[in-house]
Amino acid sequence: MRLITKATLLYLIITSLVFSIAGVVTYKTVMQSVARETDYSLRNNKDILKVAIQEGKPLFALQNEKTQIVKVTTIQAKDTLNAFSDTLAIHPYFKRLEPHRKLTITERINGEYYRFTMIDVFFETDDVSSGVTSVMTRLFFGLGLSLLVCSFLISSWLFQPFQKSLQKIKAFNLKNNEAITFSKTTTKEFNQLNGFITQMTDKARLDYISLKEFSENAAHEMQTPIAVAKGKLELLLESPNLQEAQLPLIQSAQIALSKLSRMGQSLSLLTKIENNEFTAKETTDFSKLVDQAVFTFKDIAELKNLTLESNVEANIILPINAAIADILVSNLLKNAIRYNVPDGWIKVKLDKKQLIVKNPGHPPKIPTNQLFERFRKSNQSGQSLGLGLAIVKKICEVNHLKVDYVFKEGIHCLIVKFPV
Amino acid sequence: MKLLIIEDEKALADNIRSYLSTNEVICEVAENYQEAVAKLNVYSYDVILLDIMLPDGNGLDVLHLLKAEQSEAGILIISAKNSLDDRVQGLELGADDYLTKPFHLSELNARLKAIYRRRKFQGFTEIKFNEISVDTNNHEVNIEGRQLELTVKEYELLLFFISNKSRVLTKQTIAEHLWGDNVDFLDSFDFVYQHIKNLRKKITAAGGNDYIKTIYGLGYKFHNN
Repeated sequence: MRLITKATLLYLIITSLVFSIAGVVTYKTVMQSVARETDYSLRNNKDILKVAIQEGKPLFALQNEKTQIVKVTTIQAKDTLNAFSDTLAIHPYFKRLEPHRKLTITERINGEYYRFTMIDVFFETDDVSSGVTSVMTRLFFGLGLSLLVCSFLISSWLFQPFQKSLQKIKAFNLKNNEAITFSKTTTKEFNQLNGFITQMTDKARLDYISLKEFSENAAHEMQTPIAVAKGKLELLLESPNLQEAQLPLIQSAQIALSKLSRMGQSLSLLTKIENNEFTAKETTDFSKLVDQAVFTFKDIAELKNLTLESNVEANIILPINAAIADILVSNLLKNAIRYNVPDGWIKVKLDKKQLIVKNPGHPPKIPTNQLFERFRKSNQSGQSLGLGLAIVKKICEVNHLKVDYVFKEGIHCLIVKFPV
Repeated sequence: MKLLIIEDEKALADNIRSYLSTNEVICEVAENYQEAVAKLNVYSYDVILLDIMLPDGNGLDVLHLLKAEQSEAGILIISAKNSLDDRVQGLELGADDYLTKPFHLSELNARLKAIYRRRKFQGFTEIKFNEISVDTNNHEVNIEGRQLELTVKEYELLLFFISNKSRVLTKQTIAEHLWGDNVDFLDSFDFVYQHIKNLRKKITAAGGNDYIKTIYGLGYKFHNN
């Protein structure tokens, strides 16, 4: 819900509450004044009657359905006070029960006591309440409507800088290395917000750049020391008087160094893909590329006693950088060779919709979709880096391809779906 | 062969010099751009090993300089950057080969020798090792006149052995020479054995000696008994 809608709704709810209370209060106040007026007029009438009795007018001539005067003989002190009360009586015109005001008092006139009982119809309560309600409702709707109109008009003007900021944040991309700039607004809060956003994005940008530089440099810089260490080990292999027991130690060290070097290269590749350094301004003949990769890896697969079959539809052209597409396909094939069973097989199928690489293998020990995460591997102690599928995933993400990993009935199946 | 190593990392330059220096190869080292230019102005070299990233200049500038002087030296670029652009740029500027750090010294040795052969003899060269002779132009191997039917990989393997004769070659080094980056993901390089076995068989069947010595658990050595 939009902020202004929320605020308006809240206003309307509060207003309706206030108006209801105001309605009740108004009703009570009006009713009190009416009662006061009625009481005054009853007292006044009684005084007129009192004068009439003093002048000797007969009682029956003074009485009617609203006025009763009775002679009493015994009285109490409190009877001489004005006693007002509410009562119901037949309305003279409408012939139905209506709320009336009643005055009871005993007065001493010419040495005798007369008890006056007088009633007068109230100002119509129905009329009062409906009047109050109608006024309040009109006010409420009038206010509500103007509030709605104003809030929408004002909000589009008031929130304009906010909307602009939102659009800028939406368009912001860390990888573009462009700072966000906001024009100054007259609203203090928006200026504060824009200030914070500028600060935060600047910080994020700087962090991102330094991280990027670090990972690039780290990957490059570590290759030279690794080359030095590897060379020293090779020289050691050449040295005379080397004992046979020492040879495997040297080899293990060499293999570990190779792994370290590959890790650096893979991480730097991931960074490069993330940085969009392989933008697809070109198209690649995927069919040719898959054929070539199959040809390259057939040899290696056969050395491991695996059969590699392919079914490649010709002329599948995709908008993807050739180098990166080659890495994608190679990684899928490497994966299928590495995680195969003895004397197993690999099937590669390419058509307009997708590329499928299938091979038998042990069930993965973790959910297949987690195998796309960096350094996640089914066998944590294995020699693999755990970066191959992360690279596959990243390449697919950047090139708008969808990649799925399915394990079913002993078959690993990696599917790269092409955009339609 | 006279070799100039232009490499700022002293330890790496030392490795290369120790490994390559033999009776046939004379190595000199230049640690920076200035030193390299000074040396190139005075001496002539057969092959130049060039690190692209130098502290006082880009290695590619050395390449420009050599081309401007129409030097006949072969050039092998080494770089820590495994980037396609650098490779293409280097080769376009006239480098003969490109090697990414970290490399096996035996691989470097084989490549330097190949460049040297191509430069010095314009490719028309026959490498002889006792009774085995390799025609690198036609990719043919003969043993006392009998031609060997070798697969591409077996041929490359033999050439690699001869280039690195009497040196220990681990299975990993051999695998990476033959298949490049495509085998780096494998845990074991024992499959190299099959190619070795086939090569051995073919050489001995043609009447050649078995020079391939197995170093148990580690690799092989091509050695004149």
